[in-house]
Amino acid sequence: MDELDLLKQDWNKDHSDYKNYEAPEIYSLLHKKSSSIVKTLFYISVAELVFWVLISYVPYFCSDSMKQRLEESYENPWFVGLTVLGFVVIAVFVYLLYSSYKSISTTDNVRRLMKRILRTRKVIKYYVLYNLIMIFISVPLSLYFEFEQNPVFHDEVEHMNNTQMMILLGVTIVVTAILVGLIWLFYRLLYGILLKRLNRNYEELKRFEV
Amino acid sequence: MNKELEHSFVEQLQKHQNIVHKVCRLYTDNADAHNDLFQEITIQLWRAYPKFRGDSKFSTWMYRVGLNTAITLYRKSKRRVKTQAFDSVQFKIKADAYDDTEEEQLKLMYNAIRQLNDIDKALVFLYLEDKNYKEISETLGISEVNARVKMNRVKKKLKTILNP
Repeated sequence: MDELDLLKQDWNKDHSDYKNYEAPEIYSLLHKKSSSIVKTLFYISVAELVFWVLISYVPYFCSDSMKQRLEESYENPWFVGLTVLGFVVIAVFVYLLYSSYKSISTTDNVRRLMKRILRTRKVIKYYVLYNLIMIFISVPLSLYFEFEQNPVFHDEVEHMNNTQMMILLGVTIVVTAILVGLIWLFYRLLYGILLKRLNRNYEELKRFEV
Repeated sequence: MNKELEHSFVEQLQKHQNIVHKVCRLYTDNADAHNDLFQEITIQLWRAYPKFRGDSKFSTWMYRVGLNTAITLYRKSKRRVKTQAFDSVQFKIKADAYDDTEEEQLKLMYNAIRQLNDIDKALVFLYLEDKNYKEISETLGISEVNARVKMNRVKKKLKTILNP
């Protein structure tokens, strides 16, 4: 006899050795906390949104000199444009996250559920990537604004010879790249660990459909 | 209203709880993990319940949510301490219906299934639950032909594990 058929016979027997949950026990289970991966992903995405918003706007509220300088910057139409763009991007990401979370349903088939969770993770990934690119662009850009607007810094740079200027630029770019790279690596690790099993299972199903 | 909903859910789950136990049995290897997964599946079933329209059987609907939770949503708890192995304690296979060889064979089978990957386990589960290939393909989200081919591969894999 086929082993699986033998197992089928046993499988369909009444297994009274399973723990029998009585109604009060089931009631109490309903109010327990879920440890689902979707919930974890949701917390991480909210934390990320809050984190990046804080990073961008806290200096404004914390330091008076920063506040003053930022207010001066708002006279520059480029800066105003960038700030508005920043808010629009946040709004778009919040909307995308919300709609992709809403689309996750446990009653979907296994493959579609995985696909939707991975799509949500992608939205978060692009948000992180957007922030990292903004950091990478804004560091040399703020160096340039500092040169334009801060007379002391302007004088210092003007007294530099070509080699010194190249070193300043090079060091700025390298340090920013390392910083951005480290943050990116951290995210890769975080999601890599969190979604390792999901990715593996999704690949297994996908591989079969090609 | 909410109380009514809760009541009807608990009643149905209590009646069909064996389905959840069976999913847990394939996807976990000790009693604590089994209870953990049972809890998570119950929570997910309860969350999805308001949308359950009754156009499918409650049990069929449970297969989906149960498997989705076991394969995708459930995160193994880190704080859990590994306790006793399964078959020796919670799921003692009854000896009365089988002779010793069959009993031993069943134990080996369960162990072999636990070595399969999550998707293969789902195939075995649905096969054991007597689901046809149409239902298997709909639950997993693959084509019927592929479900059939994959099931044959799983059977071969099990044979290899059992007779190395």
